[in-house]
Amino acid sequence: MMDVLAWIEQTGLSRFVREDFYAYFILLIFHAWGMAMLVGGGMALSLRVLGFARSTQLVRWRMVFPIMKIGAVLAIISGLSLLAGYPAKALTNWVFALKFACLIAAAWLVAHMAKVSFDKGVEPVGLVKLQAVAALLFWVGGVASGKLLLYTNEILMTSELTGDFG
Amino acid sequence: MSYPTDPFLDPVAIVEWSIDTGLFDIAYSAWGWPIAEIVHFTGLCLLMGTVGLYDLRMMGFFRGISLAGLHKLIPFGVFGFLLNLGSGVIFVSSSPDQYLYNPAFQIKMTLIAIAGINMAVFYATTARSLRGLSPTDAIPRAARWFAFVSLSSWMLVIAAGRVITAFRPPAWFWCAWCS
Repeated sequence: MMDVLAWIEQTGLSRFVREDFYAYFILLIFHAWGMAMLVGGGMALSLRVLGFARSTQLVRWRMVFPIMKIGAVLAIISGLSLLAGYPAKALTNWVFALKFACLIAAAWLVAHMAKVSFDKGVEPVGLVKLQAVAALLFWVGGVASGKLLLYTNEILMTSELTGDFG
Repeated sequence: MSYPTDPFLDPVAIVEWSIDTGLFDIAYSAWGWPIAEIVHFTGLCLLMGTVGLYDLRMMGFFRGISLAGLHKLIPFGVFGFLLNLGSGVIFVSSSPDQYLYNPAFQIKMTLIAIAGINMAVFYATTARSLRGLSPTDAIPRAARWFAFVSLSSWMLVIAAGRVITAFRPPAWFWCAWCS
């Protein structure tokens, strides 16, 4: 595992992300834009399911999905590039797994709410509303664990490790 | 290196205010800063998810979703902005030297002001004319422009905020009003 991370750190892309001043910050900007589109869209959808903005037709909210998908693509491409820059920093931190667990759970809930509610134009009740609350919490959880990555990493580079990796 | 004198902003007085109000202690408590950052990005998502969506609708996207209906989500965007304002005051008041003379921060504040003025002029001049629109009516040209300015400003606010750490003092020191 650590051998692979150490190899990634030596690739051209990894060095470029770490050493080019503009590359790093441009990636951060795209990551923030992507996350804002994905999470922002997801939060708005959940609020609609909870009964806010009720005069907007539920079935039309599917049109918001492309914005979330574009956001997800931006966040994933910039995120993978940032990951290439510091693979050991994220992949040795359980908070990174938590971030993905939250985002995948939130995205799955949105897809599920679309299937049982938006597409049929059925105004959501009990269980679906509960799912909307859960989705909101998972979106915030995804944002929170993303921000915490900066504060919870144990190492930055594999070169900081000595001895037995376990 | 000596800094020019600032006749308007007093970073020391700002920090003293931050200490007196307890914001400084919050910022530098064990998890204060990370939590404020989480609140800041969550607020931003709420703002973009509601105001940004409304802007896109007003630019002509999502035809079929009622504009007036979508406007009901704006209070969540205002709440998001208040979260950002609160966490932002914690950041800036507890370490004003990192922000006040930082080009990215100054550009960010200018963009927020542009978004605010754009919003005020929109509500004063154009918002009323949109009330009678059906979900499929075309959006008047003026409203499209207000939406475009709003969305671009907020997107650029995010970008400028993201690069604040790239323009740290003392390498960067912008103060057009200093003597």
